[in-house]
Amino acid sequence: MTTATAPTNVVPTREWVRTWAPYLVLVGGVIVLQWSFGSGGVFPARGDSVLESPIDDAGAWLRSNRLSHPVFTSFFTPISSFVSAVISGIGNLLLWLPWFVVVAIAFLIPARVRMWRAGTVAAGALLYTGLIGLWDETMRTLALMSAAVLLAVVIGLPLGMWAALRPRVELAMRPVLDAMQTIPAFVYFLPLFMVFGIGNVPAAVATVIYSLPPVVRLTTLGIKRVSPQAVEASKMYGATTPQTLFKVQLPMAVPTIITGLSQTIMMALGIVVLATLVGAEGLGSPVLQSLNQRRTGRGIAAGLAIVAVAMVLDRVWRSFAVRDPSQRVTRRAGLLTIAGLLGGVVIGRALGSVEFPTVWDWSLFDPIDDAVVWARDNLRWLTRPFSDFIVVRLYLPARDFLTETLAWPVVVFVAGWGCWRVKGPALATFTVGAMLTIGLIGMWELSIDTLVQVIIATILAVIVAVPLGIWVGRNRRMEAVVGPMLDALQTIPSLVYIIPAVILFTVGVVPGIIATVLYAMVPGVRITALGIREVPEESVEASRTFGATPRQTLLGVRIPLAAPTIMAGVNQVIMLALAMVIISGLVGGGALGFETVRALKRSLFGWGFEVGLALVLIAMILDRFTEAVAQRMQPPSATA
Amino acid sequence: MWKVFGPRTDAAIELSLAGNSRAFVLDATGCTIGVKDVSLGVHPGETFVVMGLSGSGKSTLVRCIARLTELTRGQILLDGLDLTAMDERALREVRRKKLSMVFQHFGLFPHRKVIDNAAYGLEVQGVNKTLRHQRAMEVLEVVGLEGYENHYPQQLSGGMQQRVGLARALTVDPEVLFFDEPFSALDPLIRRDMQDELIRLQRAMQRTIVFITHDFAEAIKLGDRIAIMKDGEFDQVGTAAELISAPATEYVKEFTKDIPKVKVLTASAVMRRGGDVDGSRCVSFDDSVETLLPLLLEDPQPLTVLDAGHKPIGSIDRAVVSELLRSDR
Ligand SMILES: Nc1ncnc2c1ncn2[C@@H]1O[C@H](COP(=O)(O)OP(=O)(O)O)[C@@H](O)[C@H]1O
Ligand SMILES: [Mg+2]
Repeated sequence: MTTATAPTNVVPTREWVRTWAPYLVLVGGVIVLQWSFGSGGVFPARGDSVLESPIDDAGAWLRSNRLSHPVFTSFFTPISSFVSAVISGIGNLLLWLPWFVVVAIAFLIPARVRMWRAGTVAAGALLYTGLIGLWDETMRTLALMSAAVLLAVVIGLPLGMWAALRPRVELAMRPVLDAMQTIPAFVYFLPLFMVFGIGNVPAAVATVIYSLPPVVRLTTLGIKRVSPQAVEASKMYGATTPQTLFKVQLPMAVPTIITGLSQTIMMALGIVVLATLVGAEGLGSPVLQSLNQRRTGRGIAAGLAIVAVAMVLDRVWRSFAVRDPSQRVTRRAGLLTIAGLLGGVVIGRALGSVEFPTVWDWSLFDPIDDAVVWARDNLRWLTRPFSDFIVVRLYLPARDFLTETLAWPVVVFVAGWGCWRVKGPALATFTVGAMLTIGLIGMWELSIDTLVQVIIATILAVIVAVPLGIWVGRNRRMEAVVGPMLDALQTIPSLVYIIPAVILFTVGVVPGIIATVLYAMVPGVRITALGIREVPEESVEASRTFGATPRQTLLGVRIPLAAPTIMAGVNQVIMLALAMVIISGLVGGGALGFETVRALKRSLFGWGFEVGLALVLIAMILDRFTEAVAQRMQPPSATA
Repeated sequence: MWKVFGPRTDAAIELSLAGNSRAFVLDATGCTIGVKDVSLGVHPGETFVVMGLSGSGKSTLVRCIARLTELTRGQILLDGLDLTAMDERALREVRRKKLSMVFQHFGLFPHRKVIDNAAYGLEVQGVNKTLRHQRAMEVLEVVGLEGYENHYPQQLSGGMQQRVGLARALTVDPEVLFFDEPFSALDPLIRRDMQDELIRLQRAMQRTIVFITHDFAEAIKLGDRIAIMKDGEFDQVGTAAELISAPATEYVKEFTKDIPKVKVLTASAVMRRGGDVDGSRCVSFDDSVETLLPLLLEDPQPLTVLDAGHKPIGSIDRAVVSELLRSDR
């Protein structure tokens, strides 16, 4: 017997070592590092001024040379004045036209392809903005957004075409596009502000940068998706490569491009409000104003106007994707309509009825304020404990534990260890390097603070989103109810629903976290529902055949199979939570968000740059880490 | 010519020449042999059909001939011009002036009206709009699509869509037409209509056609000569009658076995050459044997077969026919 046990014993020992060695390394490393560095060790910000001073100098230089240096006079200034001219040109035109002509155009563009409902929605949305007295601001925002979308298309289309034709170009572009999508848009504000100065231009350029990746990607995708036979047919009839591209591939890719872009428009509207921070005109300033005055009702009024702009752009844009020829109106009807519009312009201008008549103004929504105040006074029993729980039980202990109890090398070590386990040495090296950079430029405490807030918000969002997503995924009726609510949460600028949160919970980290949860849970719910729905029916059936209860099927089959998809949703949640950092900063969340706002307001270029760099690095770490986790969750057959 | 898909084409060809099977070569080198050492010549005005099961390399063959994929080894000659040696520009010229193709899944352009689909070949050549539309209208009329020129392809039925494909191919007035299973995606009845249509057109225009199909009946119906393709090789090349009366391999025999010979074979294919030509009762060389049956039943005297110039070339008697009928069963 003893001879038999000896060899079998060897294998378990090795197994055991292989399983537990990493954990031993972890515990050992933590103990050694913590012991040798001690608690409360502040990260030595050796490189604090390495970035800050030169960038401050650069900022000063930029400011004094903006009007004279050739880099500006021959490059940035022309770009800037061109973009600015386009935006104000569109804006001025919209305001020059009699208001009813603008409404009619919003109706007629979709209506010309018989999208009657879309046209009515677009026109109705515009009427709303006029009725509450925000017509001028709305036209400015419409102009800013249209110009940004136009520019994104003009730049993105050729890039996408290039990538579609040259696989190597696509490969080279991919990391750049990834980075552009990972970085929260407001991080661009400061450098753009440095180069372009205050006004519409940095806002438009930030929007363009934000919308460029989807435009490029969808153009590439759309072109590659064109049936290879059609492309081959074109080749076979002796078409040159450009002929095939412009006569066959591009036209066939148009619907894909347009559908994708209209999603982007919705997302990009969030930038409109923030753009006020760099001096953009439009609906952002009434929203910020109502935040400062704690006027929930007016905030909602202005927020809905932003949604209205989104709806107009979306409907108008979508109508260009309709190519069913039988839907088009006849040429005669078209000419008559144009004549009618011109007549409207002449009459409107002649009679002086250009401006939207004052009917109401946004004080129409003031009763909402009273409701919120009532809620504040009467729901203390609920809001107080909730707020205390988040601050006293979650936020403060976590932040202090990470910055004061643990020595910073321990945090870096544990993060590196986790990345190594999940993905491998490359990710671990990147993470450790990024964290050391953050520390060295003196952003350690602020970053941990932000990270803790983001993670708390993410956890809360996931706690809400995953069960809700599972429910929605399994129940069509639930989807019908939740779907529009999710749409609303995603399009209404988050600054709007942060106003009641501020009133209910007072200034601090809590309103920011609440707004972040509301905003960031949207993709969590959507993607979870998608994952649950995509579980192959066969697997579910199989489980049923074995007599599993619905609960067993859900927990044992549906959720595990949907797990990788759900994890991808978590990745999205984190990315959106990061985009909200600046919003939290506006309402007392402190940390990197507040510093971003402060740097913008006071033109602290060097400081703001460091803050931005820290945010970018955090975003990249979180993105890569969660993506790696999602990949690990894929069943082995799918990864092979 | 040879076409090998994969990284180590030379090694794959060596192995294949040494007599190894396609599966073995794939295992050993990771390369798929698409076309294996095929040589063929197509005569002007001839309809040459390549018939084989799915995966036998028919599409690869025709795509190589049209240079939609590059050959691994070999040469394609068109009127003495070497297509394989041409650069992009020269090849484009040849395609514009001399070649056309009709695809299995039509490969139409859904964003263009029928007439602009048909006129595409002329459009890329830079022909002006009036001229190319005029020409496209003529061709649309020929293929029976007048009145549909302003529709979009997806508004038409499958058969009509393939007529558009056909019109697009004919508008450029090509010397050589490639058809890659053009009717396979169509319903049987519509397929028959389209086959008849093609026969009618070919009678009028006499183009050189390379026609791919997996349907032996279609091959017999359309082809002047038929190549049976298997695993990238030609098993046999010949007229329908040759294939049926003398299948070279078991594989070819498999296909021919179910074909009713009296229906397919023509008088000239079964007749006794020379023989008893008294000229009293004459039939044409391209009459099918089936049509001769009543004549022979009514009178046992042999029939005289005349060629296109009405010269007697052979005879058919009851013995020939009964032999044929026996083998059909
Ligand atoms: N681009 C390609 N790369 C690799 N293998 C291919 C490619 N195209 C075709 N093949 C292979 O070549 C063989 C012949 O294909 P194909 O010519 O399409 O057959 P058919 O048209 O007779 O159905 C098949 O085994 C197919 O898998
Ligand atoms: Mg094929």
